[in-house]
Amino acid sequence: MIPVRCFTCGKVVSTAWKEFKERRDAGEDPKRILDDLGLERYCCRRMLLTHKEVVEDLNPYQ
Amino acid sequence: MEIAFSRLDERVAKFTLIGVSTSFANMLRRAMISEVPTLAIEDVRIYDNTSVLFDEMLAHRLGLIPLRTDLKRYKPRSECTCEDAGCPVCTATYTLSVEGPKTVRSSDLIPQDPDAAPAEEGIPIIELARDQKVVLEAQAIVGTGKEHAKWQATTACGYKNYPVIAIDERCDGCGMCIDECPRNVLETAQGKVRVIEERQELCSLCRLCERACLAGGIGTEPAIHIGTDAERFIFVVEGDGSIPVREIIERALQYIQKSSDDLVDVMNEITGEGTE
Repeated sequence: MIPVRCFTCGKVVSTAWKEFKERRDAGEDPKRILDDLGLERYCCRRMLLTHKEVVEDLNPYQ
Repeated sequence: MEIAFSRLDERVAKFTLIGVSTSFANMLRRAMISEVPTLAIEDVRIYDNTSVLFDEMLAHRLGLIPLRTDLKRYKPRSECTCEDAGCPVCTATYTLSVEGPKTVRSSDLIPQDPDAAPAEEGIPIIELARDQKVVLEAQAIVGTGKEHAKWQATTACGYKNYPVIAIDERCDGCGMCIDECPRNVLETAQGKVRVIEERQELCSLCRLCERACLAGGIGTEPAIHIGTDAERFIFVVEGDGSIPVREIIERALQYIQKSSDDLVDVMNEITGEGTE
């Protein structure tokens, strides 16, 4: 799961994840998406840029 | 002392504080970060959790959700008469009961007190697959950022010195400093470089312009000088939505006032002044 807040500054970033993922997978430039989502500082931007979702991979092993 | 706001919204404030020392500016910053109380989920009673996250991680994620806080309504537990038992005066209660397949969001968290609802609706808490279930009860209490960052009312909160840019008569208007400036603070006018007034506050004090000026072969001293005003500070305060930024600033100032009054009282007690 995407962390609820940015590790560094504490801004809530998880609300932006769904839109970021959809638009990135559609092939849009991450810079533009992050600017649109209002993530200004590089600490918040790396939260989304470097996130890897593993919840679905874990599901079979419950 | 003077405060000039250039922006004041629910979530963000930008202002210039004039006529104070660095230590006062830093005191205000620290008070806003660590001494303004907010609500955050502290205790979670988990009845059922068959999701992929462990109970502890689930509780941690719940704790980080910002909750709208009415500080007139809630008291810190240490000041409450219930003696840590948890009563409506010091505790906000939430329930969460969901079954997959579904992405559980902060809006699924049902507050007993609608005024203490999560500040943002769409925060994903956990993704549930088929047959996975989460049933829990959470209790939020008032705390300060000093104890844990989940109680911190501000996100980005800081200040910088007010930039003072001086350009002397040796400037030949070569424009190299203008090209170098990353914040585009400078412009040319009548063969000289000058500061664009509304952009002066954006200067990051990087001094690239001074270096560019020297590189232009003006001598050993640059014609442009970047300095700071020792009594002026530009503040940026960003809230997480639990409390309006205006209230964060007010509460921080009240805290400073109270602690300095307390200090005076203690000093009087030690010296014996004011007792007779």
